Amino acid sequence: MKPEEMRYCSTGEVHLDFHGSTYVGLKYLLDHFGMEAVDEVLTNTAEKVYKSIYERLQRGDSSELICHWRYYLEREKCDFTLTENPDGTAVLELRECPALRQLAKEKIDDRPLICHATEKMNSVWCEGSPFEIVVEHQEKGCRQTLRFK
Amino acid sequence: MIPSDHFVKFYSEVFKYLQKRGQAAVDEYYSTIAEHQKTHCLKLFQEKGLTGMKEYWDHIIFEENCDADAILEDGKSYTFYMHGCPSLGKVLDNDAGVCDIYCMHCPGWVLPVMSAAGYYCVYDLVRKDIPRCILKAFKHLEDAQKYLEVVKKRHLNDPEMVVCNF
Repeated sequence: MKPEEMRYCSTGEVHLDFHGSTYVGLKYLLDHFGMEAVDEVLTNTAEKVYKSIYERLQRGDSSELICHWRYYLEREKCDFTLTENPDGTAVLELRECPALRQLAKEKIDDRPLICHATEKMNSVWCEGSPFEIVVEHQEKGCRQTLRFK
Repeated sequence: MIPSDHFVKFYSEVFKYLQKRGQAAVDEYYSTIAEHQKTHCLKLFQEKGLTGMKEYWDHIIFEENCDADAILEDGKSYTFYMHGCPSLGKVLDNDAGVCDIYCMHCPGWVLPVMSAAGYYCVYDLVRKDIPRCILKAFKHLEDAQKYLEVVKKRHLNDPEMVVCNF
């Protein structure tokens, strides 16, 4: 898939400080309403905001998710390698996560909540689909393996 | 990871959640962000008044690529004309649909900061689905009251599009 075929293909300046804003939103929900609230908002984000990625995965098509990974990680000048396979599986080696990098600049050290957001959205996307995404945490990033269940 | 480009789409989902919890939950959130924003701009507004407001929002216009104009009038008022709000614009381009109180988060923090700085502020939010609004801050209550009446006449059928701190 080409980026212009994705449902969202942002252009213009990138505001990395919005990672801090996302964290503040997640933390507010967690502190005031608990993890159920965090998960409800992340589920709606994964299913409804990213409806196109979600529905494609349900149909066994991972092309938009893989394109989304590559496009937005490149926009955020991330150090990563994305290996795609012809069957729609892929391995994303994220040597330095842009969200963690930005939050560290803002002196925010709450990796569990940030990584939870990624893992929750991945699990919502994959539930009911032929895929699963296995996340292995590494020093500054992670390896995400998109594979068949 | 939610890309920084997509923060506002996530943020709209946060507001949908808060709205579902009731107005008290929404108000408490506004209060929290107002307290946070006070650390960024209250001192500037208190010390430099309307000029300080222009200074603050001129920086935001540049930083967030806003299609906007800001005008100081005779030291009596400051007007911020948002012609193309990048935040609502991005939320509108969204398969989840926009939260119908999304725009309110702006006056939600601005009005308490204006009150704390001793200024009177009127928001004309125009429409929930158009990324345009007008913020006007006044030094004197009488001037703000006169302007409020003008704005109210624009919104006879949708009074919730007009909000103020007096």
